[in-house]
Amino acid sequence: MDILQALLNGFGVALEPFNLLLVVLGCLVGTLIGVLPGIGPISGVALLVPLTFALKMPPESALILLAGIYYGAMYGGSTTSILLNIPGETSSVVTAIDGNKLAKQGQAGPALAMAAWGSFIAGTLSVVGLMTLGPLLAQWAIRFGPAEYFALMVFGFSTLSALAGKNLFKALIATGFGLMLATVGQDPQSGISRYTFGFLQLEDGMDFLVVAIGLFAVSEVLMLLEEKTPGAVRAQVGRIYLSFKDFMGSLFTILRSSVLGFLIGVLPGAGASIASFVAYTTEKRLLGSKARFGEGDLRGVAAPESANNAAAGGAMIPLLTLGLPGSGTTAIMLGALMSLGVTPGPQMFQKHPEVVWGLIASMYVGNAVLLLLNLPLVGLFVRLLAVPAWFLVPAVLAISFIGVYAVNNNPFDLFLMAVFGLVGYLMRKLEFPLAPVLLGLVLGYLMEINLRRAMTISNGDVGYLFSSPIAVGLWVLAGLSLLAPVLVARFRKQGLGGDEEL
Amino acid sequence: MTDRIVGILILFLALGYALEASRMQVGFLSDPLGPRPFPYIIAILVGLSALWLIFKPDPNPTWPPPRFWPVLGLVLLSLVAYAYLVVPLGFILTTTLEMTLLSVLFGARWWQGLLGALAFTLAVYFLFTEGLGVTLPVGRIFG
Repeated sequence: MDILQALLNGFGVALEPFNLLLVVLGCLVGTLIGVLPGIGPISGVALLVPLTFALKMPPESALILLAGIYYGAMYGGSTTSILLNIPGETSSVVTAIDGNKLAKQGQAGPALAMAAWGSFIAGTLSVVGLMTLGPLLAQWAIRFGPAEYFALMVFGFSTLSALAGKNLFKALIATGFGLMLATVGQDPQSGISRYTFGFLQLEDGMDFLVVAIGLFAVSEVLMLLEEKTPGAVRAQVGRIYLSFKDFMGSLFTILRSSVLGFLIGVLPGAGASIASFVAYTTEKRLLGSKARFGEGDLRGVAAPESANNAAAGGAMIPLLTLGLPGSGTTAIMLGALMSLGVTPGPQMFQKHPEVVWGLIASMYVGNAVLLLLNLPLVGLFVRLLAVPAWFLVPAVLAISFIGVYAVNNNPFDLFLMAVFGLVGYLMRKLEFPLAPVLLGLVLGYLMEINLRRAMTISNGDVGYLFSSPIAVGLWVLAGLSLLAPVLVARFRKQGLGGDEEL
Repeated sequence: MTDRIVGILILFLALGYALEASRMQVGFLSDPLGPRPFPYIIAILVGLSALWLIFKPDPNPTWPPPRFWPVLGLVLLSLVAYAYLVVPLGFILTTTLEMTLLSVLFGARWWQGLLGALAFTLAVYFLFTEGLGVTLPVGRIFG
């Protein structure tokens, strides 16, 4: 059994003391980011990437840390949703519906425990899925040529644009803006400078971390400044327990939502937020009058929490096997890996098995860490919300300065960060989604390179892009995905009737 | 209405972007496609989407009250000033000042903000430089 042997080696990597420490650290920091409203997982991951560079971490350790933050945040977001009706992340918005009702009925303990168990089971299942599906997809994708890759990226962009925001055209503009940023700097093939406007600092291109921190972290600070969040909040947690009866009653919901969430996570563009939303509405319709969704049903917590964790695992599949990130967070992971000299893609399973299998094994470990460590610590995390905003928000900004400066030791990047902070603020106000910008920036280079390689092979014949069945299939899928907003809109109407942001 | 204005601005951005691409000088040593067509494709994508936005705008966003704009301007200005001053004045001084300013804007008293900012800045400075080996500017004025 090749896979078992590979997984065993992966555990060898994940259980090295340093990596084990990173898993625990990643889960803790991630939970913290998830708990604190205003700091999203994308900012969190972006702020910690420079640290992995500074510590000269090997790629597998860097990825283990970043992935820990990613699913730690998924997990932490549920805590404040349940206790305070403040979703820490968009993926936990749905959790607040039943979770907070339960908390008001004095059932916060069972709700928190349900979120933890749901996340644990879903996380474990999704890792099994990743382990079995990943190598298969990688074997299939290994035959991809430049034409297929170009079509694949078009597919990735179209699904993300279709699902990222409320307005498809705003998402397309955001994607295009990201691609524009990707063309800044020296042209990879002819060597001429493009869009540098005489700035020497731009010759090497826009650094994705500077853009990410400006666009997400700084604009979040500006949004908080506008909202003037009321500072300290306190919450009662109570004893955290889950009766066996409640657990069994929700088991099938957890299993169904895990599978659903995983499949949605694999699809590029449809991340954890959509997974949690779809799982909730599906369970609500499936259980019908047998459940009291919306009035405080534990299954209303189990469904979205299982789904969003499973989606986080599923999102690793296109990232690792195709090099195609499906969300802002995974786009940053891709950028970080490329900066560390590892280009994710089908060859990665052969060329860097320690990265792939080390990550998979660390996700097993991370799920256990979250369950064992975080449940007893919920009270502590919630107490952090008592830290006043006037201290917390400037502190986030100070960390952003360090993160941006550490990338190139160049103050010009701080100036760029401020510019992107303003751009991000305006985009948020005008309801342009931000994640497509990052995806465009990170993938733009590969997209152009593959297009030009394809044209070099075919000597300029555009038909070559549509010459293989796989490529044609991907083009068709890309076209179909642009119809997805219609479907999502229908789901939204049937589900909540509101315009919850996904 | 806001979306219409934004759409027009984006349309100009796309046009400018394409125009800049058309001015690129390409040598003999290039691939069949060259550096121009990819930007053209992007410009078309963005331009057409902007046109759609002009014809079918979303409802206007809720803008913050007018008194927020000077605050936003002040913060952005301070961020730009930070970028220029961090090397000459050093990380500790500039970051403390920037954090204090923000703390006050978030409703802290100035001495509260200053103390919090100074403590946090010193803590992260030594954590990152001594503990994690990140180089941060000491400040030219300090030697």
